[in-house]
Amino acid sequence: MANTDAIKNDEVLAAEEKALKRAVMASRIRAVLPIIGLVAVSLIFNVLSDGKLLAPMNIKLLMSQVYVTMIAATGVFFIMTMGGLDFSQGSILGIASIVFCFLSKYNIPLAIVGGVAAGACIGAINGFFYVKRKVKSFVVTICTMFLFRGVIEFATTNAPVQGDIVKTMALDNNVLKMSITLLVLLTAFFFFRFTKFGRYLKAIGAGEKAAAFSGIETDKMKFLVYVLAGAITGLAAFINVVKVGSVTASSGNQLETQIMIALVLGGMPISGGAKVKFENVVVGSLLYIILNSGLVTLGLTPAMQQLIEGVVFLVVVAITSDRNSVQIVK
Amino acid sequence: MSDIRLQAVDVCKTFGIVKAVQHVSIDFHKGEVHGLIGENGSGKSTLMQMLTGIYTIGSGKFILDGKEIHVKNQVEANNEGISIIVQELGTLSGLTVAENIFLGHEDRFVKFGIKNTNAMIKEANDLLKKYGFERINAADMIDRYNFEDRKLIEIVKSTYFSPKVVVIDETTTALSQEGREELYKHMERIRNEGNTVIFISHDLPEVLDKCDRVSVLRDGVYIDTVNADDVNEDDLKKLMVGRELGEHYYREDYGEKISDEVVLSVKNVTVPGVIYDVSFDLHKGEILGFGGLSECGMHEVGKAVFGASYDREGSVKLADGTEINSIPVAIKHSIAYASKDRDNESIVINQSIGDNICLPSLDELGGSTHLLSDRKLKAFADKHAKEMKVKMVDTDQFVSELSGGNKQKVVLARWIGKDSDIIVLDSPTRGIDVKVKADIYALMDEMRKGGKSIIMISEEIMELIGMCDRIIIMKDGKNSGEELLRSPGLTENDLIAKMV
Repeated sequence: MANTDAIKNDEVLAAEEKALKRAVMASRIRAVLPIIGLVAVSLIFNVLSDGKLLAPMNIKLLMSQVYVTMIAATGVFFIMTMGGLDFSQGSILGIASIVFCFLSKYNIPLAIVGGVAAGACIGAINGFFYVKRKVKSFVVTICTMFLFRGVIEFATTNAPVQGDIVKTMALDNNVLKMSITLLVLLTAFFFFRFTKFGRYLKAIGAGEKAAAFSGIETDKMKFLVYVLAGAITGLAAFINVVKVGSVTASSGNQLETQIMIALVLGGMPISGGAKVKFENVVVGSLLYIILNSGLVTLGLTPAMQQLIEGVVFLVVVAITSDRNSVQIVK
Repeated sequence: MSDIRLQAVDVCKTFGIVKAVQHVSIDFHKGEVHGLIGENGSGKSTLMQMLTGIYTIGSGKFILDGKEIHVKNQVEANNEGISIIVQELGTLSGLTVAENIFLGHEDRFVKFGIKNTNAMIKEANDLLKKYGFERINAADMIDRYNFEDRKLIEIVKSTYFSPKVVVIDETTTALSQEGREELYKHMERIRNEGNTVIFISHDLPEVLDKCDRVSVLRDGVYIDTVNADDVNEDDLKKLMVGRELGEHYYREDYGEKISDEVVLSVKNVTVPGVIYDVSFDLHKGEILGFGGLSECGMHEVGKAVFGASYDREGSVKLADGTEINSIPVAIKHSIAYASKDRDNESIVINQSIGDNICLPSLDELGGSTHLLSDRKLKAFADKHAKEMKVKMVDTDQFVSELSGGNKQKVVLARWIGKDSDIIVLDSPTRGIDVKVKADIYALMDEMRKGGKSIIMISEEIMELIGMCDRIIIMKDGKNSGEELLRSPGLTENDLIAKMV
């Protein structure tokens, strides 16, 4: 009797070990999946477009498109790590661009600071309602998205807002844009990976109350991260204006969706938390831009593109979302 | 016709790795009050909750009047003729008294799809009158009544339909003497009607006085059933505690002098609606216990000390005069806290064991450069997880996959890693099996000897008596009076007397 029990126990243990190994394996595959996806998508579109996608000219174009998304995605990455969402990013970009244009007539450094400050202000509004008034982050940011989109439309009623064309055009070079992007990414990576900042954000995403009981000032962190994300997107406004030259009513439209699709394609868990990795930002932004650009080179209409991107987003979220981390185990 | 009303046959239930109920078989007779006793965690409530459909049955069966029953919820249990008065509040706020009484049986008053509220209220009032509770009006919202009245309403709710089996789960501790007499009266009535009362209570004299037979459970295992007339209190205690709990379970020393050095002093602390004007000193190297009924406010005392209470008035001060007003300040000044709500407040559930252990100590681990190295963090986590003998694959495993006992070990590991001097433990052994319990008690004793001061808040009277140097009993959010000092003669009843 005791013997059979022992055997049974061994069997159970072996089965448990197997299941565990399988789970470890699955999570490893999940971790490299975005990179495989990036390579695969690049190659497939390259073949489909007869090598046009990865032609040097197009790569330059691709890169110029990726900067804004990538910089703005860094801020949203922090927000999503905490388990929050931000739908107001597009409007932040638009407002910050208008402020930048206006101030560029006086002084470019002042204009950059102004754009960053404008972004930070909207971030602070988001943070205030989210943290102090305890409104859900997606509700708050959807409201601010509409509110500031209205302001942008009002400001551009008669004509697009233009900056100092001479000064801004002079700054439109890839080296500058790339340096700024790299600087933002490296700084963000450093603080996320090697200081308690990143660990605190992850802990808030994985269990906010417990994070507070571990000594993290969760409310302060949440507020500041929204301000930070706004400020970062305010910086991206600089690159945006330099590239386009003027701000129209639709400036920055749908940036928030692009960012979210990019992050999720990059392997970011939609609920944030412990499994977030900084690589998600880089891989995701690249993957999104290449997918987007690939669809363009295939000659698809914008409507078709949007449809396909929507489907891809849904499928990726459905496949990669880790049900275990959402489940509450008692 | 046999006189057996209800049989539990080989009933088991496990929660994760905790075996709450193991192969329990008991016969309950017609026309008897059957006591069911055992320590906390002995499985009596779990067994009864399976009977009444609150939990699903693990394995085994319940046979009522010769027929196996499968109930999925309390309404189905009622339909089979089984009802329960639970330990906590068993009535729903936001409904009227009448709606509560007829919860799940509203169909009786529905005609052509419309509920006849007046008929329901009238019948409920008739019932209340029959039970002698005229002062309760069935049309009122139940929120208007206090805990005791709501318990009386629950008595009506669970007995008006003459059920064959009524389970009364530790209800008397919440009632005044008057309320108890009412309850006893109805227990007797049910018995005289030939039905069965299953009576769970910690109050052994009460059990001996009111029950015909008494069954004892210990650590989820059925021990024995005895006739109440044949035994005394000590016999029951012996059956309940058994031999395993003898040596090396609780600490064994008595008469040690408590240090005069005060490490923490709490003065006139009030948290509106929860605790009022609570003051006490915590001495170096002592275990200070807080006990009381579950709503007595003792859990808030722990939060207040840790700086986690909202709207706290009064002061919490360390020996050097530092005021503790927020969690970060508390942690910085070497105060640790393990919450009763382990999964939400003590550990970040969706993170790894390693992350959880390191989280409060990141400042120290960062050193002067404030930079974190994975290697250093992992070594720190490994060291403290191993020290606590956490059962795990490695420290990368998520805490959500661990059992309650192992989660609690992770909680303790993080505070031991932080080397906190004041440790607040709220319900440290809640839902934890005997073996880990013993580990935790041993650890507490070790910490105490190492000069750490511990506040232990617990609903388990036995562990308070077993572990604490001093015990403060809370009642209605206030300190109920003189504290109880550690002594071998301290009994459960000494504490209960102050609780109610």
